[in-house]
Amino acid sequence: MTEMFSTLYGQNEAQGPPGSSLGFGPGKPPPPVPPNQVPISAQMPPQLGDEGPVLRKPGAMNEPFYLLRELPVGNELTGNTNLITHYNLEHAYNKFCGKKVKEKLSNFLPELPGMIDWPGTQDGSSLRSLIEKPPVCGNSFSPLTGASLTGFRLHTGPLPEQYRLMHIQPPKKKSKHKHKHNRPQDPIPQETPSDSDPKKKKKKRDEDPDRKKKKKDKKKKKNRHSPDHPGLAGSQPNSLR
Amino acid sequence: MAEKFDNLEEHLEKFIENIRQMGIIVSDFQPSSQTGLNQKLNYMITGLQDIEKCRQQLHEINVPLEAFEYIDQGRNPQLYTKECLERALAKNEQVKGKIDTMTKFKSLLISELGKVFPEEMTKYKAIHGDDPPS
Repeated sequence: MTEMFSTLYGQNEAQGPPGSSLGFGPGKPPPPVPPNQVPISAQMPPQLGDEGPVLRKPGAMNEPFYLLRELPVGNELTGNTNLITHYNLEHAYNKFCGKKVKEKLSNFLPELPGMIDWPGTQDGSSLRSLIEKPPVCGNSFSPLTGASLTGFRLHTGPLPEQYRLMHIQPPKKKSKHKHKHNRPQDPIPQETPSDSDPKKKKKKRDEDPDRKKKKKDKKKKKNRHSPDHPGLAGSQPNSLR
Repeated sequence: MAEKFDNLEEHLEKFIENIRQMGIIVSDFQPSSQTGLNQKLNYMITGLQDIEKCRQQLHEINVPLEAFEYIDQGRNPQLYTKECLERALAKNEQVKGKIDTMTKFKSLLISELGKVFPEEMTKYKAIHGDDPPS
């Protein structure tokens, strides 16, 4: 490293001070000029303005240094500071990155009906398509009159099967937190939102442990009456010995 | 600020609930349900009018388009926020590493140059002054 520097300085001294022209030796190519710096010929005389670091006049003050520029003014905010604490985002960071965030959209919007976890491109309900092709509509919303409501007279009977899926919600896992609105999963006509679902759920929960006990009792009885059971083999009248 | 969102959220919830009830009525339609359906249709229009009024209060709110990509894929948009924070922190650490490395290199270079070219380095320090600690 010392030899390279000495050869560079040796060649420059032999050629003499460069003055107004660049005097790099033939043996070493000039260093690349940073993009924010203007060449010497363009900067002489020095100009006012935001053109980057000021270039000192060569040969006058900075011998033996050439193209010595002032250090740039450092910004207060750099990558050296923790930007999350600087912008008071610690709480947000702990909330989103500290805990596990659930993947599905239905976890973010649990009360939204319909199958929202499906991609919007499948049924044409994507937000991207809404932005790219906004629907053409009037300036204001006006209530429907009697004449316009005639178009909404429907036939009696259930919907065709292809349209029924819109109302079916995905089976929700049993969670510890109770939802505010307990809604039915299947469509029932003339139904109110506040149903007796919690009561039904409680009944099912009560039945489950009872069912388990019954199953256990049945298993015990089967084991008693089986020929392979060691304890009761002799008590059976039909056992052959 | 939060009140504007609460107001919009309330209107949206009522609107969605109204639509859901309309769906229930329509799923197994009876002639007696026609008046109820007509009423729900007009509730839907007033709901849209209320949401339209909320728009004026929220015209300064900007939502990144990348968050819409998550929603269109059926994914939780909070994952977008999480990934933004993680990327910002990773980039922050990467840049901090570069700054630390360059600082160490600078101090090492100055010390080595001072050993090899002591006179030149004293002149350099006289021109530039004491470099501020970075």
